[in-house]
Amino acid sequence: MRRPLVVAALVALAACAGVLGLRKSGPQPFPHRAHVLANVSCTQCHGQLDHDDGTALHVPEDKSCTTSGCHEKPHDTHACLDCHATPEALAQLAAARDHLAFDHARYLPRTHGDCMRCHNGVAEGDDHMRPAMATCFKCHDHDAQRDARKCDACHKSLEAGTDMPAGHLAHDGDWVHEHGVRAASSADLCQTCHAEKFCASCHGVTVAALPATQHFADPFTPSVHRAGFAARHSLEAKADPGACQQCHQPERCATCHRVKGIAGDGRTSPHPPGWVGITAAESSHGREARRDPAACASCHGGAGEALCVSCHKVGGVGGNPHPPGFSSRVRLTEMPCRMCHK
Amino acid sequence: MNRATTIALVLAVVLAGMLGFETSAHGDPLTLRADALATTQSPAGLVMLETDSKLSSTVSAEAVVWTAASPLPGEHAGDVLVIALRARTADGRASTQLGRFVAILGATRPLQIDGAAGRVQLPHAFYTEAYAGIPVLAGLGTGRAWDWAVGARIARKLGDYGSVGLAMMEQRDDGRLATEEVGADAGVAFGKRDDVAVKLAYDLANPAVADAEVTARHVHDRSLRFDLYAGYRAASHLLPATSLFTVLGDIPAERGGARVTWKAAPRLEISADAGVRYVEDDLAPALSAHARLALDDTSRSALTGEIRRDGASDDAWTGLSGAARIALPYALFVSTELELVIPDSDRTPGGRYRGRAWPWALAALGWDFSAWHAAAALEASSSPESRARIDALLQLGRTWSGP
Repeated sequence: MRRPLVVAALVALAACAGVLGLRKSGPQPFPHRAHVLANVSCTQCHGQLDHDDGTALHVPEDKSCTTSGCHEKPHDTHACLDCHATPEALAQLAAARDHLAFDHARYLPRTHGDCMRCHNGVAEGDDHMRPAMATCFKCHDHDAQRDARKCDACHKSLEAGTDMPAGHLAHDGDWVHEHGVRAASSADLCQTCHAEKFCASCHGVTVAALPATQHFADPFTPSVHRAGFAARHSLEAKADPGACQQCHQPERCATCHRVKGIAGDGRTSPHPPGWVGITAAESSHGREARRDPAACASCHGGAGEALCVSCHKVGGVGGNPHPPGFSSRVRLTEMPCRMCHK
Repeated sequence: MNRATTIALVLAVVLAGMLGFETSAHGDPLTLRADALATTQSPAGLVMLETDSKLSSTVSAEAVVWTAASPLPGEHAGDVLVIALRARTADGRASTQLGRFVAILGATRPLQIDGAAGRVQLPHAFYTEAYAGIPVLAGLGTGRAWDWAVGARIARKLGDYGSVGLAMMEQRDDGRLATEEVGADAGVAFGKRDDVAVKLAYDLANPAVADAEVTARHVHDRSLRFDLYAGYRAASHLLPATSLFTVLGDIPAERGGARVTWKAAPRLEISADAGVRYVEDDLAPALSAHARLALDDTSRSALTGEIRRDGASDDAWTGLSGAARIALPYALFVSTELELVIPDSDRTPGGRYRGRAWPWALAALGWDFSAWHAAAALEASSSPESRARIDALLQLGRTWSGP
């Protein structure tokens, strides 16, 4: 019984290997290792490294394969790199050129043509063409720049956000919920890549449309308001009181509900039976107000607070609304204390 | 066109002109992006203008303004989201920012202000930062006098492995104390595999812990990661102290849990989250499992699926969702997002019928070619408010770079 299942699982895995990225299909990574073993120097194919103007990709042309006497009779009429290099690797090269301020010509005299000092992972496949940042730090001491958050000596246009960090500061996992506590001690580090509009697009008072609305066509844009949030937002708010007020003003609930006809003039009370009763046991509004005070403030804030203090005042039938041990630095002559403590 | 819209548009044009004039060969090119968004839901039309530029290696600026064709009643037809000028010394030891921005200092709450902020490195790995300004009111409002906010933080780096900081902020609404908060934060890495981050905010106006969060991470290897998290939030302490609802006391919301993220294959990532929420006497599970499969090595095409169990007491719910984005030839792509929420109860605590399931679906066709980007989508849903609803969304945008 177990054997057929194992066989079926292996067959399924093999069938899905290409989709899962376990087996490469289509163009194959360039065989750098074979060329190194054949004593072909890097600069023999990657020419013009000593004339680096920051725009060239230094990708070999077909003639560097054929005219050097190595591959005099190509087996195909297509360009060599159409099959012997992955499109992703070429895209990474272009991204690196756009993103990094790097001049190969400066390093050639120091490395004496030994490109492997930096490109030490090139034999492992095309995924390792761009050296990890730690490779740079083997020779370069950037502690001072790192402390000063000066990344622009090497990184161009970090604020454009075109290149997500992969090796360090990776934004994986539940980053939407985690970023607040991470940013608390390193907001300046966040600012090296993220412009003001990135924070303000969620945390601003004057937001026109949230990222989920602006990027409706991209389902992978991170946002807490994705998909059917409008339907489930009341459930999420009740499970996590105060979460909405981290970005929204309390009045936001009432404004939107009035517009959509869910609350406002002519509507019945949104409160369930037993909301206000004679005794505390018969009255649920106090408990609910303590559980989610911002929800109450949304409708009953400002002038609406008068409704509360009509009962909850010194000598009033509502009794003392403060919890045991309550203290405040607000003076009794100021709002909201003076509403009751006259 | 009302005053707010006029001012927003004038600001946009002035800033764009200023940046265009100032941009020099040694700075990054000016970029200007315009997006028009139209939906059948209100607000029906929206135009956003964004611009940013590095005027030199030490000075940069950015602005985002928007105007809505049909805003919600009581809301504004246009506003400035960001307009900020940043400068720093050549050695990076001091920096300043001027304009409208979100001020964030350690564990204290973020606040959007019109004002100034600065940061200075001090000897012995200390640094300090501060801001001062006027809290932003929507619609370029200036109705209240004596609104102001100030904040400061001092922090120290702990070698290469972390930092600790203390912050304080005070906000006044019309001269009255609205927020007075102190915060402590720390982030520490233990080697290359483990790190911890913690923040705690304490309300001084109505003394009590307002917000606390801790998260710890262990990276087992490049394909396996474990996270632990816990949080505490006292909702009444997030309201301004001028509100009556801050003096009632509150029932804090607490949560905690663990998450594992596993890169099962080069293109397949799976994560599972097991947590609990605790509000008063309600202890509710918060569970989710998520999978993402990239369909190519650059993740231009991908599929995701998620199952989730969340909510508390009568408002618990189970959700299923899936999304796909498929790249097509000619810079086109199609995407879809599907969600089904099933509440435990088909009635609200007040007894109102809200439906047994809330399906939601969106299908979109997009085009991202060079400086142009466009998208069109249809959204269909059923919710407690609408038994059936279909909306259309359209977007057209262009980015200019120069000189």
